[in-house]
Amino acid sequence: MSSTAGTSSADDSVVRLADVRKTYDLGGTVEALAGVSLALAAGSYTAVMGPSGSGKSTLLNLVGALDTPTEGRVTVADHDVGTDSEAERAGIRGTEIGFVFQTFNLMPRLDATENVALPLLFDDWSRERRRERARELLSLVGLGDRRDHRPNELSGGQRQRVAIARALAPDPAVVLADEPTGNIDTETGAEIMGLLDDVNARGNTVLLVTHERAIAEHADRIVHIRDGTIESIESLDGAGRDA
Amino acid sequence: MDARETLRMAGRSIRSHKLRSALTVIGVVIGIASVVTFASVGASVEADIVSEVGSSSASNVYVLPTPAGEGDDGPGFGGVSQPVFTEHDVKQLEKTKGVRQVLPRGNVRVSALTHANDTVSRNQITATTPASFPQDAIVAGRAFRSGAREAVVSRSARQAFESNLSVGDTLSIETEDGNATTVDVVGVVNRTAGQLPFASFAGQPRFYVPTDPFYERTLESPAVGASQRAYPQLTVVADPARVSTVKGSVQNYLAGSDAAELKPESVELTAQTSGDFVEEIQDIVGQVTRFVTAIAVIALVVAAIGIANIMLVSVAERTREIGIMKAVGARNRDVMGLFLAEATVLGAVGAVVGLPLGIAVSYGATVYAEVAFTPAYGWFVIAVAVGILVGVVAGLYPAWRAARVDPIDALRYE
Repeated sequence: MSSTAGTSSADDSVVRLADVRKTYDLGGTVEALAGVSLALAAGSYTAVMGPSGSGKSTLLNLVGALDTPTEGRVTVADHDVGTDSEAERAGIRGTEIGFVFQTFNLMPRLDATENVALPLLFDDWSRERRRERARELLSLVGLGDRRDHRPNELSGGQRQRVAIARALAPDPAVVLADEPTGNIDTETGAEIMGLLDDVNARGNTVLLVTHERAIAEHADRIVHIRDGTIESIESLDGAGRDA
Repeated sequence: MDARETLRMAGRSIRSHKLRSALTVIGVVIGIASVVTFASVGASVEADIVSEVGSSSASNVYVLPTPAGEGDDGPGFGGVSQPVFTEHDVKQLEKTKGVRQVLPRGNVRVSALTHANDTVSRNQITATTPASFPQDAIVAGRAFRSGAREAVVSRSARQAFESNLSVGDTLSIETEDGNATTVDVVGVVNRTAGQLPFASFAGQPRFYVPTDPFYERTLESPAVGASQRAYPQLTVVADPARVSTVKGSVQNYLAGSDAAELKPESVELTAQTSGDFVEEIQDIVGQVTRFVTAIAVIALVVAAIGIANIMLVSVAERTREIGIMKAVGARNRDVMGLFLAEATVLGAVGAVVGLPLGIAVSYGATVYAEVAFTPAYGWFVIAVAVGILVGVVAGLYPAWRAARVDPIDALRYE
């Protein structure tokens, strides 16, 4: 039942899933992932598409070290996500993974700079270095003049820019974007996707989860998931991207 | 995340809910202030009593009959007014080593006192010896002479009649059988050497007359075989350096005294120093203080529940924030630390505000009660420590709940 895809044995893979199964015990046993193998090469841009309930959220949670596989192995930058140590997984999330959520998920009482610096706070960076890094990244995402604003003083697009800057703060092995344009209008969504493309162009590995074909086409390849398995992998070779 | 950053974040959360935090802190403030107040007032009252006793009667040994078999709590103040100590006993005790004076004390039953045509009804006056009035106790005039028809009065007794009583005036004493005796007032005193440790608290008018000729209770002394005056209470004034030795000697003597033979079965003879009284008072005041302070501790428990409650609300409200923090690398212990710090800061702020408030209130209370203020420093330290502890304990469960939040659920939480 396992689908093997991509360059799972390649040395430059930053994320590897090897025959991963995830089952939930909700009264009966529900198999969210039924044997998935996938590798993300460093600097690659991958989109995951699938209908709701297909297992794409589960995949994202596993790669994001928010959850552990029932079977198989998930590694991010050679760290085993299946570790029993909660602190270790928190460490992986804090240093190797950058999350970009549909609902932004910014801390409401922290200003833009502090939100961007938050992952670094838990990685024990000094206050000065955190601020410096956060300001640098806010300028990079075009919010150099909004760095003292709180989330409620920012537009949806601006909030997502802050979230992207936060995702980049620890210089992660992979940026995980979960429906990053789901809560913003089309025009702003295009800007955000442009920013994500830039992020990838700067050498960051990006994993994008979406149910919109147009959004998925920003990636180099699209992994189609259905019923907990990889149905197909579509290579785009940059065809769907802006020139 | 280091402690300073944790505190900084906790401070921000507290400031972002100013009213809620302030109300929670007020609970702690009330608890801490009550504990400090009651403990301080108790300590002040105790210290005041001790100093009162210590200054006037530290070298006294009180010899009196008390009801037998009162258990381990000590003989108490409840003497029985049974005249058992004979003149022979007085003389023998005076010969005891370390004893300076033995002051017999008895009551003379009267029906009224008259001064300048104003008659005051009164049941009894005190009969004692001139040695009861040391020089420094005499405010005006002199001590009475033994055998003379003279009287000494306390300061407050001067105002007992319509026209002021002063040295040189005469006082008419009407006895129970209706006979009247006139005495000259020769002195005014502010205390007597033989008074019980706490007598000066009650500033009642007191009238003193010499035992000779006024005191008439007599018993046959078994040692001498003749009828002698017998008193219900003796005060042995000891050499201040030998009070406890004297107390022992007095107790030894009492076993073979006239009083031992004359006393009824139900009565035992006790010798107590003012130190014994002080200990007893300290025991009682200490018990009352502990009891009241324990009630104040209830306020602290309520405050702790307040903190726990508000922290649980806070955890529920910030579930999503906890999820965000976890997603960007916060470990369980970081989250736990944040909430614990928040609760601890609430407790500590309450303690820091409550302590001076408690000191101020207890100071006010001592001024009102006209007692010298004695701060209970030990309790101050305990109060602050308890305030912080209350925060920690109250914060533990909410913080644990926060740490256990599943980031996947929390991020989905709207």
